Amino acid sequence: MLPQWLLRDEQYFPERDRDIFIDRSIRTLLTLLSRLRQREGGSEEKVRVNPGVRLGSTLLLILLLSLSRDFLFVAYAGALLLAILSVYRAELILRVLKTSLPIATFTLFVMLPSALWGNTSGLIMITLKVFFSVVAVKMFVSTAEWGSILGGLRIFMPRLFILVLDVTTRYLVLLGELSVSLLVALKLRSVGRNSRKQSSLAGVTGTLFLRSRQMAEEMYAAMECRCFTGSYPRGSTAKISAVDLVPLGVGALTVAVFAWTGMR
Amino acid sequence: MHIPDNYLSPATCAVMGAVMVPVWAVAVRKVRTEVSNARVPLLGIGAAFSFLLMMFNVPLPGGTTGHAVGGTLLAVLLGPWSACISISIALLVQALMFGDGGILAFGANCFNMAFVIPFLGYVLFSVIRDVSKGRRAEYAGLAAGSYISISVAALCAAIELGVQPLLFRGPSGLPLYFPWPISVSIPAMVLPHLAVAGVAEAIFTVAIFTFIKRVSPGTISAAPKPRFRGVYALLVALVCLSPLGLLASGTAWGEWGIGEIGKMVGYVPEGMRRGFSFRALFPDYAVTGMSGVIGYVISAITGAAVLVITFKLIGLARRENRRKALT
Amino acid sequence: MIVLRDVSYSYDGIPALSRISLSVARGESVAFIGPNGSGKSTLLKMISGIIHPDDGSYILDGEEITRSRLSDALFARRVHQRIGLLFQNPDTQLFCPAVWEEIAFGPRQMGLDRDSVDARVLDCLRLLGIEHLARRAPHNLSEGEKRRVALASVLALNPDVLALDEPMNGLDPRTKRFMRDVILSLINAGKTILCATHDFPYVEGVFTRAVVISGEHCVVRDDSYAAVIGGTAFLASLNIV
Repeated sequence: MLPQWLLRDEQYFPERDRDIFIDRSIRTLLTLLSRLRQREGGSEEKVRVNPGVRLGSTLLLILLLSLSRDFLFVAYAGALLLAILSVYRAELILRVLKTSLPIATFTLFVMLPSALWGNTSGLIMITLKVFFSVVAVKMFVSTAEWGSILGGLRIFMPRLFILVLDVTTRYLVLLGELSVSLLVALKLRSVGRNSRKQSSLAGVTGTLFLRSRQMAEEMYAAMECRCFTGSYPRGSTAKISAVDLVPLGVGALTVAVFAWTGMR
Repeated sequence: MHIPDNYLSPATCAVMGAVMVPVWAVAVRKVRTEVSNARVPLLGIGAAFSFLLMMFNVPLPGGTTGHAVGGTLLAVLLGPWSACISISIALLVQALMFGDGGILAFGANCFNMAFVIPFLGYVLFSVIRDVSKGRRAEYAGLAAGSYISISVAALCAAIELGVQPLLFRGPSGLPLYFPWPISVSIPAMVLPHLAVAGVAEAIFTVAIFTFIKRVSPGTISAAPKPRFRGVYALLVALVCLSPLGLLASGTAWGEWGIGEIGKMVGYVPEGMRRGFSFRALFPDYAVTGMSGVIGYVISAITGAAVLVITFKLIGLARRENRRKALT
Repeated sequence: MIVLRDVSYSYDGIPALSRISLSVARGESVAFIGPNGSGKSTLLKMISGIIHPDDGSYILDGEEITRSRLSDALFARRVHQRIGLLFQNPDTQLFCPAVWEEIAFGPRQMGLDRDSVDARVLDCLRLLGIEHLARRAPHNLSEGEKRRVALASVLALNPDVLALDEPMNGLDPRTKRFMRDVILSLINAGKTILCATHDFPYVEGVFTRAVVISGEHCVVRDDSYAAVIGGTAFLASLNIV
């Protein structure tokens, strides 16, 4: 029943081939997936402040940071952010720094030559501003549940965007895992010289696309089964409570510092 | 091509955001009216797909790899309006979750990658396909559309960055944001895209399209029919005109007259011409206040916070080591 | 031939394997039994050289498989050719536009000439009874057909060891019986079979040995298949039946 070649031991000695793209893609996707999973696990650190207020104050801080030309304000914002960050759990601190430090380092690298012709202030200010802006965003997203971030975004965006955003984040994990599996399957069978690397990768991504389409159809069917009519009700947003006075106060102080440093 | 915050001035960000708002508004309306409700989940899953596409390393001739955006592909498969929403959402998730691309610069990043790429790629694809019909024309259109659109997007990013030192400078003449002029930013951004990223984009786009067409031809024929209409010409015009808008907005803010724009390409930073110089560290920024009580308080808070953070991280590393030693 | 010594593995801090020791000789047919999430799939992935142990060592034919060893592409390819892994979900294993190309993918890379590649593909198609699907796209096939295509694409590499991750999962009874016959003939041909499974009625008489993994990711029993399956009370205590 079995063909002859299957009964023999395969005497196979592989050839060299440069298929580093498979390993690199797997590595990037695995990093992405582990960060996405961290997100799910990160929700235990719930900050009781209203997400809308926190999103608003984060955006305000980033805007003022970008507008300010005064080192004192940048120093103030940095002190404020670092002081809040120091209250966080060590794991969260690490997560915030892991994203923000590489971006700041990259910026330093881009700006460095310009310091040679005297732009040292730009070098320091812009690098610090970039660093603090990313820290602010990461601090917000690593302590808020995704649902409440969406709730906060509702104020700024059409509801269709919010629904799409919600679907995106849910399917990112699913499709990410599918891509890793497909790439591993490609790797396991890439035992020699592949003369059609592009079409192999297109197979992986094309399959990913077709599967995405299928999932989208199934999801729409599921939505319709639960009486989806094409409109998306506004979810309940958290009420503003006494705790929210703290960030509002800090926000007011920040605006005051900004105005004062701007007027000097 | 993801521009972080503080590389662009808030004024530039505002202009780019102002360009994107009507685009998004039209896109949402188009998707709502022209497209059935069944498309809504597809937009979300399309965004996840586009996010993941940017993660893949594309094999290039010579054994190296590059990244692709896949904007033209999405525009051809889903239609440019849907592609615009999907890529915008993917960029938002990247900005929020991973700090890739700034929050204020979101409008600019969307303009380059969620607007220029899908629309320009789609227009080029449909024009080439309609001019000379046939399978070859289809692939040629895809390759040209994806290659040119990603290069033009890089050019847009380079212009947005490169006008910063022209338009936004402090009283002593030093740039406040991205310091390199157009004469540096354009070659730095565009050449790698022409040489590597554009090639990756074209190879990837054609290969995936071929695969999908072969496996599931229904998907391709169900995709919106490319039609070259006035609206797209308008959009292309908008793409070309918005750098001018940038300049106009900048001159309104800053101290630069229209005459200065002519010098744009040949611009050499003052300090560069004079060579290395030890200037005061912060000529443009007021730091005198730092010596006072406020400076002391800020330094104290920063110092204490940095210490606490350092000890927490050391503690975490120790716990990890102990856990590893136990298992 | 395969020796695991005290191997542990965890995904982002969540343990999946905990101090597993095991050795499998050439030609053995071993069933891995355990509740969902016990680490059977992870174990098969490790044996296939996709992941490497956090702790402990994995030795294949006297050679330790480590991260640095696997980063040598030639070595990794040799391992991948020798050990064929059938994924639990065939959807994630098939990436070619047609079944024929799917099966030809491996042999083509091994540098076989065109005729031997075609012969191998044809043999695999016949062996799994899917000649009529050769021109179809794997994406559009039924679950059972996809599983057959996936197995064919693995067999085309002629691996010595087959790591099968729940090969009967989701198949209709007839296809399950068919898969059983294929596995049996592979065992008779001298292949080493490692198989994670729950479908006890359909794998009757296939395996000589069973390794039971608990919900705590440890090996709790390693015995002859008949002895393990005979003791229903033991399996029930582990939440398996």
